[in-house]
Amino acid sequence: MTDDIRALSEALAMDPASTVFVQLGELLRQRGDLDLAYRVGTRGLDRHPQRADAHDLMARVASDRGDMERAKAEWEAVLVLSPGHAAAHKGLGFLCFRIGDWESAGKHFERALAADPSDASLAAALRAVRIEPGAAPSTRFATPPAGEMRSAVPGVAPRRADPRTLFAEVLGDSARTALLLDSEGYVVAGAHAADGGGDRGALIGAQLSGVSEEADRAMRHLGLGRWRQIVFEAESASVAMAPAGNGVLLVAAPRTAPLGLVRRILEQALVRARQWLERGT
Amino acid sequence: MTSPFAGLLFTLVRHRGVKGCMVVDERDGVIVDANLQLGVDGSAMAALAASVYRKARRAAVAAGFGEIAFFELDAEHGRVCAAGRGGLVVVLVAESRVNVGLVRVEMLHALEAFA
Repeated sequence: MTDDIRALSEALAMDPASTVFVQLGELLRQRGDLDLAYRVGTRGLDRHPQRADAHDLMARVASDRGDMERAKAEWEAVLVLSPGHAAAHKGLGFLCFRIGDWESAGKHFERALAADPSDASLAAALRAVRIEPGAAPSTRFATPPAGEMRSAVPGVAPRRADPRTLFAEVLGDSARTALLLDSEGYVVAGAHAADGGGDRGALIGAQLSGVSEEADRAMRHLGLGRWRQIVFEAESASVAMAPAGNGVLLVAAPRTAPLGLVRRILEQALVRARQWLERGT
Repeated sequence: MTSPFAGLLFTLVRHRGVKGCMVVDERDGVIVDANLQLGVDGSAMAALAASVYRKARRAAVAAGFGEIAFFELDAEHGRVCAAGRGGLVVVLVAESRVNVGLVRVEMLHALEAFA
């Protein structure tokens, strides 16, 4: 248990009516303790149903748990309580993004960007959904060549500018994954198809984005400068991460892939991500 | 009297560019044994490296990738490598010029001492 989580847990135990549950829930979410974050958020929301940040927390947790309906309802509740709330518009924008509702996604991103102009991931996402402002939605994204969608979400019609297929060319193998995450661990581009269908990108992003935060903290104290790359070999995959924009890019490949190749794919995906963040194409 | 880890630490630290290596308790970041160059702050290094390794290990498990065998962090002014088993972690701090492929093999080999 980190010091922050311990301190917040103690503060909440001493005063169950305290609003520190919002920070505690978010830290637990970032750490990957989604069930605990859900319980903390639910109890807090029972006591503070009028707090927008409590609904925002529940929406993030629900999104990470794959409960998109609940996430949508909670972010909509945030906007009732706090119209123009940047994080709620951003969250709803990404929800719309995932289901291909580009018009609604664009509107939410616009509103979120108006509230927080410094968020580079919002600007990039907005450019992606508005790539050809005059084109009809059906012609805005052309169907890619056969095979380009192999690493993206099954059952979703492929589109050329679909952010989920951003790294398809670089990856070149359906078993490899690349995800571009924003500073809060949300997936901005890329996808990870689970064996049983569905996109596990949000879960992986939420879990692994915390590693980069921990690395930032360690680097500040160790005097080694900024971290440039993190690579680790796990049981079923080799994973490489690097800072990208204000977030992180991560690449995962089956453990059978040589580490040097995973690094090389990461470098190529970084070039692709930077190009997309800067130009939106 | 030397610790059971003295031999493997000596093997690792003799590689070009290695500034120090330690066996660290993953949970608390406490040094079990270390072989460090003069001027290297082992305590801070151990706690921070163990913390990053622990975070990566938990995140990898939670993301469905399973347990981590080897971890490497490449920074502007050096590298940190870690490999763990059974709550103990071998942490190696090196300059950027280190032959990371070689130390990786030796660190994974060193883990057998923890089994």
